Amino acid sequence: MASLSKGAIAALIAAAVGALCLLLESSLPWLVKFPAVWVLPTTDWVGTAMEWFLALIKPAARSFSALMFYPMEAANYVLSHTPWPLVICATTALAWILGGVRMALMAVVGLGFVLASGYWPESMNTLALVAVSVPLALIIGGGIGILANEYPRIRQPVQAVLDIMQTVPTFAYLTPLLVLFGFGPVVGLIASAIYAAPPMARNVLLGLERVEPEIKEAAIMSGGTRLQQLFQCEIPSAGQQIMVGVNQCLMAALSMVIIAAVIGGFDDIGWEVLLTMRKAQFGQSLLAGLVIVIFAILIDRMSGTLTQDRRDKHDVRVAWGILALGVAVSAAFWGSVQQPGTYALFNPVADSVDRGLSAFTSANAEFLTALKNNVLFYVLLPLRIGLDQAVLPFTWGFTWTPAMSLGLFAAGAAAAVGFALRGQLVLGVMLLIAAGMLETGISQLPWPFVLVGAGALAWVAGGRGLAILTVVLLGTILLSGLWERALLSLYLSGAAVFACAVMGGAIGLASAVSPGVWRVVRPVCDMLQTIPLFVFLIPVLMVFQIGEFSAFLAIIAYAIVPMIRYTRHGLVSTPEEMIEAATASGATKWQMLKDIRAPYAAPSILLGLNQTILYAFAMLVIAALIGTTGLGQSIYLALGQADVGLGISAGAAMAILALIADRMVQGFAEERRKALGL
Amino acid sequence: MSGSDTPAITCRNVWQVFGNNADSALKEALSRHETPEAAAQELRGKGLIPAVQDASFDVKEGELFVIMGLSGSGKSTLIRCISHLLHATGGEIRIDGENIVEASPKRLIELRRKKLGMVFQHFGLFPHMTVAENVAYPLRVQGVKKKQRLAKAQEVIELVGLGGRESNYPRELSGGQRQRVGIARSLVADCSVWFLDEPFSALDPLIRRQLQDEFLEIQAKLKTTIVFITHDINEALKLADRIAIMRDGKVVQIGTPADIVLRPADDYVREFSKDVAKGRHARVASVMQAGERHVYGADDPGLRQDMTLDAALARCMELYEPVPVRAPDGKLVGVVNPADLAAALQVEQG
Repeated sequence: MASLSKGAIAALIAAAVGALCLLLESSLPWLVKFPAVWVLPTTDWVGTAMEWFLALIKPAARSFSALMFYPMEAANYVLSHTPWPLVICATTALAWILGGVRMALMAVVGLGFVLASGYWPESMNTLALVAVSVPLALIIGGGIGILANEYPRIRQPVQAVLDIMQTVPTFAYLTPLLVLFGFGPVVGLIASAIYAAPPMARNVLLGLERVEPEIKEAAIMSGGTRLQQLFQCEIPSAGQQIMVGVNQCLMAALSMVIIAAVIGGFDDIGWEVLLTMRKAQFGQSLLAGLVIVIFAILIDRMSGTLTQDRRDKHDVRVAWGILALGVAVSAAFWGSVQQPGTYALFNPVADSVDRGLSAFTSANAEFLTALKNNVLFYVLLPLRIGLDQAVLPFTWGFTWTPAMSLGLFAAGAAAAVGFALRGQLVLGVMLLIAAGMLETGISQLPWPFVLVGAGALAWVAGGRGLAILTVVLLGTILLSGLWERALLSLYLSGAAVFACAVMGGAIGLASAVSPGVWRVVRPVCDMLQTIPLFVFLIPVLMVFQIGEFSAFLAIIAYAIVPMIRYTRHGLVSTPEEMIEAATASGATKWQMLKDIRAPYAAPSILLGLNQTILYAFAMLVIAALIGTTGLGQSIYLALGQADVGLGISAGAAMAILALIADRMVQGFAEERRKALGL
Repeated sequence: MSGSDTPAITCRNVWQVFGNNADSALKEALSRHETPEAAAQELRGKGLIPAVQDASFDVKEGELFVIMGLSGSGKSTLIRCISHLLHATGGEIRIDGENIVEASPKRLIELRRKKLGMVFQHFGLFPHMTVAENVAYPLRVQGVKKKQRLAKAQEVIELVGLGGRESNYPRELSGGQRQRVGIARSLVADCSVWFLDEPFSALDPLIRRQLQDEFLEIQAKLKTTIVFITHDINEALKLADRIAIMRDGKVVQIGTPADIVLRPADDYVREFSKDVAKGRHARVASVMQAGERHVYGADDPGLRQDMTLDAALARCMELYEPVPVRAPDGKLVGVVNPADLAAALQVEQG
């Protein structure tokens, strides 16, 4: 036994427990299905406790909400009563100062589109929310970052809380806020401030930590007080990183404001998307989605220029000129300009999109249905409920028999033995486990096997501490009665992550090998990363209607980006000396990739996988809007019923899954980095 | 305080220990062991790092005191103790008689504003400020009016030869220029004690020499007390009035450049001075037998106490007649004057 590696021991234990579960399945049914009587009513407990707590702080919250009403109204009034020519010119002037001609053009064209679409008033409502929530988030986030920097003792806990906040799904914030603040735009405001503050805090802390020690010392030796050091030297020196925080904060706030539209009660652009989506007016829905994308891109690119090292100076007089033009036009045509909401230049387009879409879907119905059904029946369903139940004469043409299961296991075992003899025991046992999981289906895995298997994996990735944490956290999900829904979530996000890893890895590889491919892929990635989560639902819904397959596609579209980026980045950032050494040794291009670049890129690729997992979980909840089962659905339902207990518990379960996946992958990445001496 | 009697800086048994509960661990170790070596040994055994061990020395007013050692020898830690960027774990550090280890934060800010200046290896310039704003910053924190502080900054900028660069940003300057900004900033508040932490180490050799020379000129003009850190023995010998050599956290020798070159305290110091052209640093006085009644020959090449050995040797060589020079087969091919031989070995006279 002593000669076995950690991985082999873990794999063998997991395999043994799995086999044991399968053998005892028939005599001990509680092994597969966790008995309901063992479940603790934690959801109710959480609900009661939270309701008590929320009731306690409700008066404070309500008065805060009343307080926030004023700036919100003010922002709303200003934005919706300013003549649109002035708004467009002011934005363009700002864009000119930030990024010159290109940026200014982008602003004019973008806002022109928004105006012509007729969604101007709704957009201004959304912007008003963002305009109030962002300063709030910046102050809260900046304050947290600075405090964490000043008091090293609280740095660790603050980092941990920020980590957790990043994994808690967006919808889960909303339910308690709904109870606290009541229906209305304030919930969206608060939610987006809470959601947007962590990236700011993170970047402020990171920026301050990274200020060169000698700059800090120079500030001390110049005789500055601590406040002078901080505000005159350290914060400006960390400016670029802080601006990255501002950029991320803006994007997060916009994204959340739009998601918060599901609560309704505010006539904003996210609500418009939701409404049209529900009415199956996909042309209009797409149009509203495009308006959101335009705002996302404008806000991202304009604030993105602040993070750049050296900015070109653009003549301020031009900006004043543009602004003056806006004032002049507004004044000259005061009264004669149309109400911005009445433009609907694209309505015919939207209608024809609708018509075209119907024509397209009916013309290609056969192909689309075949695609959807094939993926559903031959990939997703077996993964979910296992070959033993998914294989039916109706779809597969034959019935799955116990003999076939036996055959599958025998093949798995043979492979395991074969690989073990060639010295690759871990790989062999993993294959055997995979065969077992395929036969059973992820959503029907025996819970002892999941606990032991996850614990074993965590042990390999991060040692005993992580293993204990994993088992305990999964145990709470088990006891809370959310286990089945958690497995369903795990299955869908697992399938999506797997697809992302394969496709994203391949695209990343292609982008690394060929600059031409990257030139095409890069803007697509940029685009996908700027689009708020919500908008991903529109196109998949248009073509594939509501259902698990659409959710699957939406998750992939959103979560594939980090995989592509990190894979490419890892592969192309191999140090020049290593490449030269390999070339001098006579390596071919392929050998270089396989032997030099890929191992070097492994930690980076693992980090990409980590991001992909987190993205997939984030999207899973949003995708509940278009039909998924599992935790996402529970969170969404809880929101509708204002069920705080269920919302929080399901949100926590989701966060637990994300957290465990995150820690495990980070553990493996860390190990690879250490092995490479990075 | 009566002027030159009190040393400008006094260090007594200064310790800097890194690690958990360093304070109590050091106290305990010192109470239990007689020698600092044994105490340091115990601290290391506990997983603590004694970066500076029992350092004691005085720096006289107006003296240029160089602390030299390799990386990891504790020299940067020591200068940070003296400037109180680090709080010394043990011992006493006095600047003009005032124990700064015990100074209040308020007093420290005052000291830094009025008395101390520091230059850093990687310059430590504020990237968001222009040259003039960087240099004027120590005045800004004191609340000096903008016009006044910029005027003062201008003076110092001229002093370090950066006139015309006032409105550039640090990123637009070369390494040498950046360090000039660092020097100007440390001088703007008229400090009387000047700390320089490897100020020229990050620069090219040519620029380094140039800045060393300019630094000596500034020093001659301002006559501040200086603690200068370097890892370069030649730089130390060129600049120092006295040198302290550090190794593994301990000060192993303190002496004038000639002491270090001619009378190394141990093999470690000897190893350092091995590559040094001793004739260029040691003075005649250091090898002379003192006294008036010594017996000497008829020749007098005109030596003076403060001549370098090289120069003295050249003078002595002048007393010789020309000597023959032969080809490999023994045939006479010319003559050479010994004085010319000596002169050829000399680099330009400093």
